[in-house]
Amino acid sequence: MGPETNKRQGMSMPAGPTAKPGKVRIRRFGLPVMVLLCVLLTWWLVSFFHLFPAYAMPSPGAVLNSFKEEISAGRLVNDIIASLWRVAIGFVVSACLGIPLGLWLGQHAAGRQAFVPMLNFFRFLSPLAWIPFAILWFHIGDKPAIFLIFMATFFPLVLATMSAVATIPKIYFRVARDYNYKGIELLTKVTFPAVLPQVITALRVSYGIAWVVIVAAEMVGCQDGLGYGIWEARNGLRLDSAVCYMITIGVLGMGIDRLLAQLTKLPDVRWGYER
Amino acid sequence: MKLSITGFITGIVLIIVMLGLLRYRPWNHNGSVNIKDVVHDGPNNKAKRQLTVGYLPVTCHLTCPVTDFASKTTHANTNFNSQVFSDFPTVVSALQAKQIQATFMIVPLAMKLREQGVPVRICYLGHRDGSEIVVAKNGKVRSLRDLKGKKVAIPSPYSNQNFVMHKLMEDYGMKPDDITFVVLPPPDMPTSLASGAIDGYFVGEPFCAKAELDGIGRVLYYARDIWPNFISCALVVHEDLIRDNREVVEDLVRGIAQSGAWAETHRAEAARLAAPYYRQDQKVLDYVLLSDPRRVSYVQLTPTDEDLQQIQDMGIKMGLLTKHIPMRELIDRDFVPQTITPALIDAAKIPDPQAGKIH
Amino acid sequence: MSAGVMKDNRSASRLVLENVSHRYGELPVLHNLNLVVNPGELVVLVGPSGCGKTTLLNLLSGHIQPASGTVHREGIIRTVYQHDGLFPWLSVLENISMGLRSVTRKTQRQQEMHELIELIHLEGFEHHYPHELSGGMRQRVELARVLAGDSDILLMDEPFSALDYQTRLRMRHELNRLLVKRPRTVVFVTHDIEEAAQLADRVLVLSNRPATICRELRIHAPRPRDLTDQAVIEAMKAILIELGLQT
Repeated sequence: MGPETNKRQGMSMPAGPTAKPGKVRIRRFGLPVMVLLCVLLTWWLVSFFHLFPAYAMPSPGAVLNSFKEEISAGRLVNDIIASLWRVAIGFVVSACLGIPLGLWLGQHAAGRQAFVPMLNFFRFLSPLAWIPFAILWFHIGDKPAIFLIFMATFFPLVLATMSAVATIPKIYFRVARDYNYKGIELLTKVTFPAVLPQVITALRVSYGIAWVVIVAAEMVGCQDGLGYGIWEARNGLRLDSAVCYMITIGVLGMGIDRLLAQLTKLPDVRWGYER
Repeated sequence: MKLSITGFITGIVLIIVMLGLLRYRPWNHNGSVNIKDVVHDGPNNKAKRQLTVGYLPVTCHLTCPVTDFASKTTHANTNFNSQVFSDFPTVVSALQAKQIQATFMIVPLAMKLREQGVPVRICYLGHRDGSEIVVAKNGKVRSLRDLKGKKVAIPSPYSNQNFVMHKLMEDYGMKPDDITFVVLPPPDMPTSLASGAIDGYFVGEPFCAKAELDGIGRVLYYARDIWPNFISCALVVHEDLIRDNREVVEDLVRGIAQSGAWAETHRAEAARLAAPYYRQDQKVLDYVLLSDPRRVSYVQLTPTDEDLQQIQDMGIKMGLLTKHIPMRELIDRDFVPQTITPALIDAAKIPDPQAGKIH
Repeated sequence: MSAGVMKDNRSASRLVLENVSHRYGELPVLHNLNLVVNPGELVVLVGPSGCGKTTLLNLLSGHIQPASGTVHREGIIRTVYQHDGLFPWLSVLENISMGLRSVTRKTQRQQEMHELIELIHLEGFEHHYPHELSGGMRQRVELARVLAGDSDILLMDEPFSALDYQTRLRMRHELNRLLVKRPRTVVFVTHDIEEAAQLADRVLVLSNRPATICRELRIHAPRPRDLTDQAVIEAMKAILIELGLQT
């Protein structure tokens, strides 16, 4: 037992690189910051030497100014909240409907055969194609955007959950039978945790879609939101403020994805990412 | 940390509730859904009613924010909230859903709506002129004939610009397909012209002024030169509002008429007033309003049968409109005031524009 | 041991196959098999690969029904799988507690879990997850799980075959030790003749497909047996001859 236990304890430690922690930190944070600075510098140089005409390439200074302007007018914050609200609602609704449907389809071959072609059809239909209908059915405001987010995320989520269920090793269900898991308990205690890592990955992917779609969705039929902000800046011939919205969208999207990535660090899904 | 289903759900619910609270701010809810769209909160104790009016941030719709401002800073019976839209399809949708019951709109689109059974009426005009044909600054184009075989951008098939252009080509003895027309969003027109993607465009301000200011284009024709008293946009009101609330419509038309009269003579102030509503660079608005009085005018805004009949005839000829709608059904002149005095806007109350604009 | 005190109905456990035949489509797998597993007995099934050992185990556990013949089962049956039988989303302790689902009192459950962890020498690993453990440790957790609570019969489907040789030797001792503390009726399927000879009370050698029992071998020497014990060597020789691997 002795040698085996020792070996195991060695393995149960996080498999970190042997480099010094300081060096790791530099590589982890220093390099991206350097790349960022390079991009900013290039941008500044391009606008400083007028490589592009000013109307086609706003300068970093102008963008900074419009940041100040948008924040002090309270519009930026309002737009951020509007976009986040729409994404959150659309996303939660599609997860609440899509994941259970995916679980059910994953376990019923007949259901799969019946629904998968239709689901695939809708998945390949760009959510933006729904814009005219979203506006016709839901008029203007939050609803059409939420509908578009739903259309964008529902089908990928269902299909991902379904295929995750279909690939659960049979052995788990045998074990579940040995220990008398049945019905709803089987679903919540075995099937769901078994697909959770893949579902989390699917959530991250479809969140990415949602964030891309919200910007496009808000360009029509909305009165606020980040996408609307870009559209309005464009109508107002203010490319600097459009860039300030673009930066906001990128930073927020990245931040929320980092947040979702935290889910993969939870101990009961960790296994799904280490095999 | 262990993922418990209840904890997870609680977290999500918390996030949603928080976002919902931030979004709808129930703590400062004061009865009006559109209050957040009000740029200037001025005391207007006498106003007993309120109405939301839609507009796009183009100078053709300038009287809309001016009326909004006037209703809040002067003694008025109705408080008008101007609600900005970014494109006409959205305006149409809002009108169909009766989320707004009055809006500024391009005239042929209003006719099309009426054709499709949306009961709207043209009660007043937004402006006269206010559009130009712009061509590349250093190009050789000197007249419409020089545009033969070239590409010209228009904002929409249902824009009066499109109609007038075809009328003009007819007058010049050109065939309809002598010029290739492309529909472009107005903000893209100056840049498309700069890159050579199009050879000219015909659109409302401030997208013409922008090209001139950026040194991209020059004006080939002012709208008034080719079509006297040119109209592109009008005030469109839902019949339900006309039926149910005549006083409000009366206030609205009077307000717009007075705002127009004020803006005609207080152009610099009007530009300063509108800039924050439009979120636009005030320089562009200044240019539109001040550089040449021929560019746009805000008087003689009563729609006449001849004006609109001409537009409708052209639309039907082009096959874009299909029905002859009698002018008495389309136009409602009942609310136009007998005498129009400029609105009593106190220029000192117009907030100073913020510093720090592009270049 | 509390499990022994809590429940001592191994005498009630029974596993009987009567004239069982099975086929997958046109392919006959088992032919007319008769088998009685006595309470407390450790029966090892060996046979050439692909002869239907796993099918036999599935019939015993009730995962599949025989094409003909009858299977009698009495008592609670649990299976130890070759690998990946643990739920990866549950920690060691939670996996073991699956075996204690029938125990409703929380304190008793906790005490049981604690005892089991001690029994398999995994103190300190209670909150580790299966993917953080070695193959040997994982199989020990599986053993603890099937031994927990009120199980009567253990079916073992080549439980040590995915382990390296030395770990396998250690696991045999481990199994012996656990069965002394918590006696169970065991049906053990393996292709490892050493394992059979070292562990079994009775070895059943299966023939090629369609499988039938071609030799029954009782090993009377008491467990634990060393690999080099005379009884083990003799049993191995007998099995090898039966399988045609030695003359």
